[in-house]
Amino acid sequence: MELWGRMLWTLLSGPGRRGGTWGWAFSSWQPHSPLAGLSSATELVRHWTGVFEKRGIPEARESSEYIVAHVLGAKTFQSLKPILRTQPLTPQQLKCIQELSSHRLQRMPLQYVLGEWDFRGLNLKMVPPVFIPRPETEELVEWVLEEVARRSHTVGVQGSPLILEVGCGSGAISLSLLSELPQSRVIAVDKEAAAISLTRENAQRLQLQDRIWIVPLDVTLEGSWTHLLPWGPVDLVISNPPYVFHQDMEQLAPEIRSYEDPEALDGGEEGMDVITHILTLAPQLLKDFGSIYLEVDPRHPELVSSWLQSHPDLYLHLVAVRRDFCGRPRFLHIQQSGP
Amino acid sequence: MSGASRATFFMSTPGLFRFPAPLTRIRTVPWGLQLWEKLTLLSPGMAVTLVPMAGKRDCPPLLSLDENELEEQFVKGHGPGGQATNKTSNCVVLKHVPSGIVVKCHQTRSVDENRKRARKILQEKVDVFYNGENSPVLKEKREAEKKKQERKKRAKETLEKKKLLKELRESSKNVH
Repeated sequence: MELWGRMLWTLLSGPGRRGGTWGWAFSSWQPHSPLAGLSSATELVRHWTGVFEKRGIPEARESSEYIVAHVLGAKTFQSLKPILRTQPLTPQQLKCIQELSSHRLQRMPLQYVLGEWDFRGLNLKMVPPVFIPRPETEELVEWVLEEVARRSHTVGVQGSPLILEVGCGSGAISLSLLSELPQSRVIAVDKEAAAISLTRENAQRLQLQDRIWIVPLDVTLEGSWTHLLPWGPVDLVISNPPYVFHQDMEQLAPEIRSYEDPEALDGGEEGMDVITHILTLAPQLLKDFGSIYLEVDPRHPELVSSWLQSHPDLYLHLVAVRRDFCGRPRFLHIQQSGP
Repeated sequence: MSGASRATFFMSTPGLFRFPAPLTRIRTVPWGLQLWEKLTLLSPGMAVTLVPMAGKRDCPPLLSLDENELEEQFVKGHGPGGQATNKTSNCVVLKHVPSGIVVKCHQTRSVDENRKRARKILQEKVDVFYNGENSPVLKEKREAEKKKQERKKRAKETLEKKKLLKELRESSKNVH
């Protein structure tokens, strides 16, 4: 194989180990390199899809499409102008794609590879090990927005509704609520320093920092939530708490197991540990008839229902269960009614 | 954008596919059996006068899509979902069963947004399918193309006039 062919092969077939030499390798065969057939976005996607498939990387096609699109400045491959898909890429772009793809080959979740992802139209920075927002959670926010709109007396009033998010992670839930409810205020808590930091950064990126208080707090610690009392009773509590059953943790895909914070996932034996803590503290922080919205495991609606029944002193009732787009019971609306 | 129907019907049967074309023309269009059966439900002898409703000039209504006639596919059922899964594929595949038209939308990173856009694109394609040349979609395209050609023509004419003028000036200079 000619020299250029060999270089091309090593470049394209795996994680680069000769970092510095890539730049040299490219400059020596530009612009006379016969790379034309392999250097368009479409060709690159085809190539990397093949590489990912061969290495057993899940979502091979999607991963390569997103990586190439990202390098070309687009959110999805399909949204790229057709002409951008067929014209040759620069050596810089090729190098970038190669680097990102090498991370994906290590089973890094795509959102960490790209360092950003979208949630309900908001672009958020993503940094391991802070939990990556899931698409189901977009529906949790949708539900809350519908309910808030229904209670029209809270809409349009400054500072209303006042929302507490438990376990804010990257800030996805809080920031999308703030952005879609211009009068709302949010108190966002998380026990993980990296999550606090990332939520702060995302709030700044979106210029929502004026309406959010981001507080490092572990709600499972005795009495910790009393620090929140001064902020006054809240209209609603929202959370996507760690709800994976402990025994299921080891079955998670390598992407999740190796890169995301296990504490953001592991809910204990029945996945209920953090959920029950939230339900216990909520009545102290909620206004009368305030609501709690949770994303949970499909086995939880029953478990939560019976748990609430055995804790009547909380005056909490499971009002509604909503299914996600896969038809699984995924979201709970619990309401406080009473002393 | 779900446009208002351009036809008025006596019956507003849910799922009844509304269309603006005169009844006689319908027979030549490959309607799904389901739709034909629905048509025969109309009481015999009832004058089904399909009166096209005036649409706004800038926003002509398209045939509306009936959700019952759509088949949708997006990534679902792969693994437990929620926190236990991390999927990035949110491509939506939407099929209009009566016509067989399929749209694939992966324009955004949101399943919800892709669903909305898929419906919009599908609505346009279905309208063209049933209305052919009369579809506002094609009419708008023809109009846009016409305007573009006119602009090109005018620009060319202006350029030629300038050229001619320049030549005249040059030649008159030489004469003197």
